[in-house]
Amino acid sequence: MSIIEQLVTGLGVPNFAVLIPEIIVLITAFIVFFIELFTKNRALITATTIAGLLLALLSVFSISQGDITLYGLYIVDSFSLLFKAFLILSTIFIIATYRPYFEKKEIYFGEFYYLTLFALLGMMIMVSSPNLVTFYIGLELMSITIYILIGMYRTKRKDLFDYDYKSKEGAFKYLIIGGVGTAIISYAIALLYGATGTFDFMEIASLATNEESINIGLLAGIVLLIIGLALKASAVPFHHWTPDAYEAAPTPITTFMAVTAKVATYAIILRVMVEALPYVSEDWSFAWALLAAASMIVGNFIALRQKNVKRMLAYSSIAHTGYITAALAAPTGMGFAAFIFYSLIYIFMAIGALVFLTAFEKNEGWTNHIDDFKGLAKQSPLMALLMLVFMFSLLGIPPTVGFMGKLGVFLALIGSEVWWLAVVLVIMSAISAGYYLRVVSVMYMYEPVKKLSFSFTGAERAILILMAIIVLILGIYPTLFWNVSTTMSSILIASIGR
Amino acid sequence: MTFQFEPANIPWLTISILLPLIAAGILFFLNERFAKPISIIVSAIVFVISTWMLFAYDFSEYKIQFYEKYTWIPQFGVSYEVGVDALSLTMYWLTALSFLISFIWSTNIKKRVKEYFIAFLVLEAACIGVFVAWDLVFFYIFWEAMLIPMFLIIGVWGYAERIYAATKFFIYTFFGSLFLLLGVIGLYVYQYFHYGKLSTSYFDLINVGLPFNLELIFFLLLALGFAIKVPMWPFHTWLPAAHVQAPTAGSVILAAVLLKMGTYGFVRFSVPWFPEASKYFVPVMFTLGVIAIIYTAAMALAQTHIKRVIAYSSVSHMGFVTLGTFALNVEGMNGAIITMISHGLTSAALFLAAGWIYERAHSYEMRDLGGMARFVPVFATFFMISAMASVGLPGLSGFVGEFLALLGTFKVSILFAVLAGIALVVGAGYTLRLYHNTMFIENEIDENKKHKWSQISDLKTSEFLSFLPLIILMFVIGIYPKWWVDLINNTSLAILSKVLGG
Repeated sequence: MSIIEQLVTGLGVPNFAVLIPEIIVLITAFIVFFIELFTKNRALITATTIAGLLLALLSVFSISQGDITLYGLYIVDSFSLLFKAFLILSTIFIIATYRPYFEKKEIYFGEFYYLTLFALLGMMIMVSSPNLVTFYIGLELMSITIYILIGMYRTKRKDLFDYDYKSKEGAFKYLIIGGVGTAIISYAIALLYGATGTFDFMEIASLATNEESINIGLLAGIVLLIIGLALKASAVPFHHWTPDAYEAAPTPITTFMAVTAKVATYAIILRVMVEALPYVSEDWSFAWALLAAASMIVGNFIALRQKNVKRMLAYSSIAHTGYITAALAAPTGMGFAAFIFYSLIYIFMAIGALVFLTAFEKNEGWTNHIDDFKGLAKQSPLMALLMLVFMFSLLGIPPTVGFMGKLGVFLALIGSEVWWLAVVLVIMSAISAGYYLRVVSVMYMYEPVKKLSFSFTGAERAILILMAIIVLILGIYPTLFWNVSTTMSSILIASIGR
Repeated sequence: MTFQFEPANIPWLTISILLPLIAAGILFFLNERFAKPISIIVSAIVFVISTWMLFAYDFSEYKIQFYEKYTWIPQFGVSYEVGVDALSLTMYWLTALSFLISFIWSTNIKKRVKEYFIAFLVLEAACIGVFVAWDLVFFYIFWEAMLIPMFLIIGVWGYAERIYAATKFFIYTFFGSLFLLLGVIGLYVYQYFHYGKLSTSYFDLINVGLPFNLELIFFLLLALGFAIKVPMWPFHTWLPAAHVQAPTAGSVILAAVLLKMGTYGFVRFSVPWFPEASKYFVPVMFTLGVIAIIYTAAMALAQTHIKRVIAYSSVSHMGFVTLGTFALNVEGMNGAIITMISHGLTSAALFLAAGWIYERAHSYEMRDLGGMARFVPVFATFFMISAMASVGLPGLSGFVGEFLALLGTFKVSILFAVLAGIALVVGAGYTLRLYHNTMFIENEIDENKKHKWSQISDLKTSEFLSFLPLIILMFVIGIYPKWWVDLINNTSLAILSKVLGG
């Protein structure tokens, strides 16, 4: 490590060493690019990617002292390190499922790997941005690579041409709507800059100190910023790209979007709101409360009608955006802790449910239709049991961790006396039981209709079992995660007006 | 209100929660043939522990006994806290008994045996946890976790309409429990703001002095959760569906244990926590209780499906528990608790009887039955005793509880006591009709049926063993109720202390 430190300090930028995780991810991306270009060795590509990510993860843990670097354009604090660690971790799990899936569908491209790494880099930049410009760069890097990733279902198999077409449609839809979102965010940044004369979160915070200091330009900037972020986090009414893009993308990419990209978006939402606009929290907390309520209601009701489980999970992820952003309706330490906690645990539940689909889609004849799940408990009891754990966790039934997430949000909401949103959350949770239970009931209570034979790779099995164990252990003993979340939220609050 | 604790030397309660869970975990990796013996042995051990506790419990003064406490989530002040008073203890004992009986009865299960026993073992752990937990988060976790195995039990091993029934059961109770959670969190947050204390312990939350209007709100939130579980009219519609579709052992657990959770919640939480609101809502609860008693009794009279009759009768009996609880005097409270125990015994026995009949006659419909009594004398006797106990014949368990509950009600409102008393007669009507139409009317049935009945065998050993403890206990409670009243009297007084004192 010391050689790298010497090298980077040699560049003359102070505190450059805290950028090591990003540098490792970037270098890995280029190495993978060249390996793909010259050797096409698939095992080597996967191994290099995962090794690079593990190294990056290690370097995240090796950073003991956070710092501001790149002359104030980049902040590495415990908040961003925490999220970076989880982003890298989830990417490792997801990338481990890439190869068997792509080979089976005959859409294997080395591009998947280094584009994923670039997207990850974008997310890492995003979560450690103290500044609207850095945030924008990270967001764009993430979004543009994901547009490409969705559209890469370029199969050679004639029977999958429909998927090919749909994937292009989904990618294009996301490109258009995401592009609009980007435009909105850039306009918001322009307005905020016009009103305050700075891009820096802290300086914006020092200017927007109370209700009187908000002029029309600043207000418009805040509103547009919230809209743009809501669009990226697929909150209703800006969710229309989500189901199509999620359903159309190759399932490992869906997992990457629904888990890693989402969590990074949640992190930046929290960071922008708390660091840039802490003194006007009453305004944005109500906006997020409305968005959360709409997301829960629309997401859950539409999910009820879905016959395709992948699409259902897309709507369920909209609903989960609702549950998570609901915590912002309580702009208190408890609310932020609940927000962080739910974002982190969401990783495990969602990876579980979506990797399950990845594993099954590899088998011939599997279409993700709810009928395909019939009688799964007989055909592969272990897999069905794991899916049951994930479904109950997404539903929020103890002793799974989903309950702890919702408990935190409840505590925050009631602590801030936002009773109406708590009641909406309760009713919508009960409604969501309808579709999560359907998956469980078709697996356990019906006879199989199709005679399918299943085979899974060891990696998929290991990931699913690991996720289920994490979900159960955290459900029984969430103390460690709560500690982390409450510490993070107090650090966030303490750093206001730094 | 201050409590006295008597810590447990050996953590019996933790053992009886963990034992079924561990057994379920081990069973997952074992061969199917181990499922039955392991389950029966484990539940027998738990039952022995609980029976021993029943005698070891010192009822001369109100103390939380066999008490254990370990810190669990310090950020929220959540701890693992278990212990028993007489109410918890009797419910815990009833749970252990019902599960032992269910396991013995289930020896003839053929379909997916291993999963069946795993589900029941997990359910047993969760049910015991609900009754002995004193920490609210912990309580809630068991309260909800219990839904998962029950959902699977109804949905996988039930009858034709099982999936609809299971889903309805799940969503209904889940919906109610979330409001319960809201209420508990509301109280917790109020405690934090006004007392600066982070604790979800029952013993702290009970001392939160609420303003009257908040008390009303929290009472209603909790009551919604409990009322769905009891179930009280008009939230009872999940119950007939679930009972009818559930397998026999599932129905037994549903009636004997799960319904008690709702009434347990009212007795344990609503009354002591919200004394003023409880007083305020007495007319409402009385009305709902009496409607439940009369309406469902009338519904039961009209049914031809025998399990449906018993299901409606359960709702009706639960109405007496509601009346007794909200009479808010010691007779009523004692009556409510004894009715809970007694109903656990009688409804379990009646559902076993219904299951037995289905196994022999392959029908639950009254028109396919009748005239069995002469061919199966032992079963007919047991069925008769259970039916009589359910009706409330003096000398059997049903009488004691309902008499006390009515006595308590009478002290508060003569009108409601009379109305409920009338319903007792209707209760006798539907239960006797049930018995009459399944066991007697030998003259009215055709030769075919008679021939069929002459072929069937009387109780098998496992069935006999499941019935026997229930029948014995019905007599024990009915003939010598003093011991039971003594056992729970101090607990009832402690539960009512805030209502009566204030």
